[in-house]
Amino acid sequence: MKTTDARHRDRAGAEETMENFSALFGAQADPPPPPSALGFGPGKPPPPPPPPPGGGPGTAPPSTAATAPPGADKSAAGCGPFYLMRELPGSTELTGSTNLITHYNLEHSYNKFCGKKVKEKLSNFLPDLPGMIDLPGSHDNSSLRSLIEKPPILGGSFNPITGTMLAGFRLHTGPLPEQCRLMHIQPPKKKNKHKHKQSRTQDPVPPETPSDSDHKKKKKKKEEDPERKRKKKEKKKKKNRHSPDHPGVGGSQASSSSSLR
Amino acid sequence: MAEKFDHLEEHLEKFVENIRQLGIIVSDFQPSSQAGLNQKLNFIVTGLQDIDKCRQQLHDITVPLEVFEYIDQGRNPQLYTKECLERALAKNEQVKGKIDTMKKFKSLLIQELSKVFPEDMAKYRSIRGEDHAPS
Repeated sequence: MKTTDARHRDRAGAEETMENFSALFGAQADPPPPPSALGFGPGKPPPPPPPPPGGGPGTAPPSTAATAPPGADKSAAGCGPFYLMRELPGSTELTGSTNLITHYNLEHSYNKFCGKKVKEKLSNFLPDLPGMIDLPGSHDNSSLRSLIEKPPILGGSFNPITGTMLAGFRLHTGPLPEQCRLMHIQPPKKKNKHKHKQSRTQDPVPPETPSDSDHKKKKKKKEEDPERKRKKKEKKKKKNRHSPDHPGVGGSQASSSSSLR
Repeated sequence: MAEKFDHLEEHLEKFVENIRQLGIIVSDFQPSSQAGLNQKLNFIVTGLQDIDKCRQQLHDITVPLEVFEYIDQGRNPQLYTKECLERALAKNEQVKGKIDTMKKFKSLLIQELSKVFPEDMAKYRSIRGEDHAPS
């Protein structure tokens, strides 16, 4: 059924396009009969008249543009020789040609999430949440999807626990066994600390304290560097004194190091 | 809008803190801490009541299901936002490219048709309200 329908549609479409082509390209004095009248199937539309060799505007074949063919739609009569003309979309219409992120004022969000690297783990998003939350929820049956798929049976309201009900919460003294201490398991802190440092450096306006400390560290390094150089120099001098074969090398190094100063 | 979320966030933080403290009490239980445990249990009930009250203010908020997949896999849900924005921008650029190409094609087609069918194209332009032929 689908194929036959498609054939009918194709034939009708071909005829329609034929008419359109003839109208668009200017009907000839003796238009060829439609292929169906000749006993042929829907063939290729007749080739348009070859363009003149010069291609000049005045040499085009005369068109019967003003008169619409009999098969034309009445609404399209105002369009002259053109069929199936539709109104162009308005320029005010929102399309993909405009930057939709700027249109909806999402540049800040884009820069926030795409400008820098977002940390992979859930514990980076919820650092204060106790427990090991980076593990998949399917491990301990704590996934949110299972909460949606199998919602818990709710009584309707939450009532406070009264004295008799609290009797059910009398616990044994002593510590919990190891396998039950899930609350104490935390994701490794070292990585978090390291990542915190990274995030600080990536912040557009970093707080004063870390920058100050960095500056101090750099200063310390600067202070240490000349001391090291001096020590190295002394060592080299001593070596040079002991090795009389290479007096020039030590001198050149000394001069180079002095030039570094 | 943000106040609603702040309210919920505050209640959730209190609830998590209560659960944490309850965990500490339970992890090394002493007979003297029974009163504290009972108090904490009732705090949890009131905490749940407070969270449930927030539900009325947030009934119009929709959350994409894909976010839950990220959370269930132990991944940062901000990655979902990031990927959404990146996908939107890529698609936006793709569509813009298509529109620009079609515009170029249209102008070229009109240009070439004007050479061959100047009268028809003049009419076409007059219908479209375009005075000048595209260069």
